[in-house]
Amino acid sequence: MFASPQLSRRVALSAPAAMLFAPRILRAQAPVEITVHYAQPFIYKEAYGALLAAFARREPNIKVNYVTTPNYEEGAQLILRQAATNQLPDLSYQGFNRLRVFAERGIAQDLLPLLKAEATDPATAGYTPNLLALAHFGGFQSGLAFAASNPVTYYNADLVRRAGGDPDNFPTNWNDVLQLAGRIDRLGDGNEGMWFTWNGDDWMFSALLFGHGGRMLTEDERDVGFAGPEGLGAIRLIDRMVKEGGMPNLSAAAARQAFTAGKLGIIFQTTALVRGMVAGAGNNFVLRTTGMPVIDPGKGRLPTGGAAGMLTAKDPAKRDAAWKFLRFSTGPEGQALMVRNTGYLPCNQIAIDDPQYLGEFYRANPLFMAAVRQIPISIPWYAFPGTNSVRVTQTMVDNLARIVEQRATPEEVQRDMAAEVRRLLPRRS
Amino acid sequence: MSASLAFPARRRTTGEALAGWMLTAPAALAYALMLLLPTLATIALAFTDYELGADGLAWIGLDNFAELLRDRGFAIALRNTILYVALVAPLSVLGGLALALLIETGTRGRAFFRAVFFLPVVSLPVAMAAAWQYLLHPTIGPLNAALRGIGIEGPAWLSSSDTVLLSLAAIGVWENIGFNLVLFLAGLTAIPRELYAAAEVDGATSGWERFRLVTWPLLGPTTLFVVTITMTRAVRVFDSVAVLTQGGPNKASEVLLYAMYEEGFTYFRLGYSAAITLVFLAIVLALVWLQTKVLEKRVHYA
Repeated sequence: MFASPQLSRRVALSAPAAMLFAPRILRAQAPVEITVHYAQPFIYKEAYGALLAAFARREPNIKVNYVTTPNYEEGAQLILRQAATNQLPDLSYQGFNRLRVFAERGIAQDLLPLLKAEATDPATAGYTPNLLALAHFGGFQSGLAFAASNPVTYYNADLVRRAGGDPDNFPTNWNDVLQLAGRIDRLGDGNEGMWFTWNGDDWMFSALLFGHGGRMLTEDERDVGFAGPEGLGAIRLIDRMVKEGGMPNLSAAAARQAFTAGKLGIIFQTTALVRGMVAGAGNNFVLRTTGMPVIDPGKGRLPTGGAAGMLTAKDPAKRDAAWKFLRFSTGPEGQALMVRNTGYLPCNQIAIDDPQYLGEFYRANPLFMAAVRQIPISIPWYAFPGTNSVRVTQTMVDNLARIVEQRATPEEVQRDMAAEVRRLLPRRS
Repeated sequence: MSASLAFPARRRTTGEALAGWMLTAPAALAYALMLLLPTLATIALAFTDYELGADGLAWIGLDNFAELLRDRGFAIALRNTILYVALVAPLSVLGGLALALLIETGTRGRAFFRAVFFLPVVSLPVAMAAAWQYLLHPTIGPLNAALRGIGIEGPAWLSSSDTVLLSLAAIGVWENIGFNLVLFLAGLTAIPRELYAAAEVDGATSGWERFRLVTWPLLGPTTLFVVTITMTRAVRVFDSVAVLTQGGPNKASEVLLYAMYEEGFTYFRLGYSAAITLVFLAIVLALVWLQTKVLEKRVHYA
C-alpha cells in the first residue's frame, strides 16, 4: 500500500510509525482489494463482468479481482489447496454439491449472522427459507445461492411431429413420453428417440428419485434412502428408457451433439444449457423446452443445480468488502444481471417476483420458462456427508451404467448400489 | 620430480572438478527441484492419509497399499492399463516398422508420407480427442455412417464397455505409430548399403532374407529404444481417457493415471493417489530395467 516508487526512504521508514497512530483513519479511507473466485467462465464470464461494472459504480472503494477455474471440480481443488497454504481468495462461488465439503472442513463461514445484522427476517431482502436452504450445509448457512437450475425436457418439435406427436401438447407423464420417444426411435434413418443425462453425476438420477418422493439418504443420514420402492421406481424408469424409449448408449457430449444435429428427439438435462442448445440447434430444427414429466404429482420434487457464494476472507476489512459483493451479486439487481447473461434461474425472491427485474427477459426468451415454472417443486441438490462425498456419486453412476448397457436388472443394480454406497458413508457408532 | 609436479596437477583436477560442478549446477539444481524433490515428496505422501484441505496428516504405514490390494477400481485400472499396453505397444511398434520399410523402399513422396504419419505426434492430444469423439460418434459420426452404408450397425465405440478400450487403443496406436516410424527411418538410414550387397552375394536374394539377416539385427538398438519408449508412453495414457470417457462406462476404460487423478483431485485423497503414483513409477522403472538388462544382451550394437 505504501511501497510506491516515489516514496523517499524517510517517508517509507516513517510510514509504519504513522500507521501506529492512525490505523482507523487509514483503513476507512484506503480502498480495499478483494479476490473473488468463480468457475466455468465459458458460462459466467459476461455475468461476472456485468456484476463487476455495476458493483464498481456502487462501491468505488472496493476493487474486485477475479480468479477463475475452468470447472467446479478444479474450483474445489483450488480452494482446498489454498486453504492448506493459507492463500484463500476472499469469496468463492462453488457448485451446490461441493459446498458441504467446505462446510465440513471449516473453510466456509456461517452467513446467517451477517444476514441478520442487515434484516431480522432475511426474507424481506429476498432470501426466503427455500432459497437459503439451497446453500445450507454442514448445519449452518455456508453460502448464499447465486445461480440455480433444474432439469427440463428439450425436444425437437420437427421429430415429434413426424412421429405423430403434437409439439404444442407435449406429454406430461413418463408413460406417454416413453411411447413418443419409441415412435421417434422407429422413424429410422439414424434418428434416436431420447436421452437422459444419467452419467456425469447423480443429479439427474436424483430427479427421478425425488420425482417419486424418495430421498438419497434417510433423515438421520445413517442409511441409504433409495433402497425402497422409490429408488427401484427411479432405476426401473431408466431401464424403460432403454427398452421402450430407445435410449442409446451415449456420453453426454455425444448426446448433445446428436440432439443439436437434429438426430435425437428428446433430451433431459439442466436448463443451464438452454443458451448452448439454442446456439447449437441454429436453424436445423425447432427447439422447444418443457418441464420434466411428472412422476408423483403430490410428493414429487426436483433437484436444484447451480452455484453459491461462500465467504472465506479472514481479514475484517476484506471480509466486509467480500460480503458486500456477495450481497450485491445475490440481491435483486445482481441476480437480474446474472439471469440475463446466463440463463440460470434467479436465487432472490424479489428478482423472481418483481417484474421490473426479469419480466421482459422471460417474455422475450420463453425457452427459459420451463425451469421457472418448476421452482415451486425444487429442493436442494443432495450432497453426501463425509470424505467420500464425491466418490458416492461416481459409484451410483457406475451402477446405472449397468442398466443403460442392459447388463443387470433394476433389482440387482438397486441392491449393489445400496451396498456400495453404505460402505462409503461415514462410520458412526 | 613427481612430488614437485603432483601438487599443481592435483590443484588443476580440483579446479576442473569445481568447474564441472558449476557447469552442471543449473541442470542438477533443476533436476533436484523439479524431479527429485517432488518424487521424494510423493513417496513420503504415499505413507500418509493426507487429504486435500484436511487440517493434518497421519503416518499410516502401508495402509494405502493394503487398500490398493482390496480396491476393485484399482484392480480394474491396472488390468485395463496392461491390456491397453498389450494392444498399443506391439501394434504401433510393428506398424511403425512396416511403414518405415515401405517408405524407405518407396521412391516417391517420402517426405510427404513421413509428414503425414508424423502429424499425430505434433498435434495437441486434447484437440485430437475432440476430433475422435466426432469420428467415432455412434449416430452422426462418419465411421458408423460408412458402416451403415454397407449394412452394418456400428457399435457405440466410446460409450459401450465392449469396445471402449479397443477404441482408445486404436487412438493410442494412431498417436504412437508416427513417432516410431520416424525412429525406425533414422535407424534404417544408418545401416550400411554394402551389407545388403554382401548378403546378396552370399545368397540372400529374397527381400525377406535380407530383412531377416541384415535389417532386423542391425535395427536392434533402434527397436530396443522404440519398444521401451512406446511401452512407457502407453502406460502413461491419460489425455484420451480424461477427454473422451472419464474412465467409463462403469470403469471399462479406467486406467492407472486416470485413477490416480480421480483419487487425488476429484476425491481429494492425495495420500492414496500418491500410492497409485508409486505403483505407476514402479511399473515404468521395471519396464526400463527389464529392457536394458534382459533385452540388451540380445541386441547387436554395430
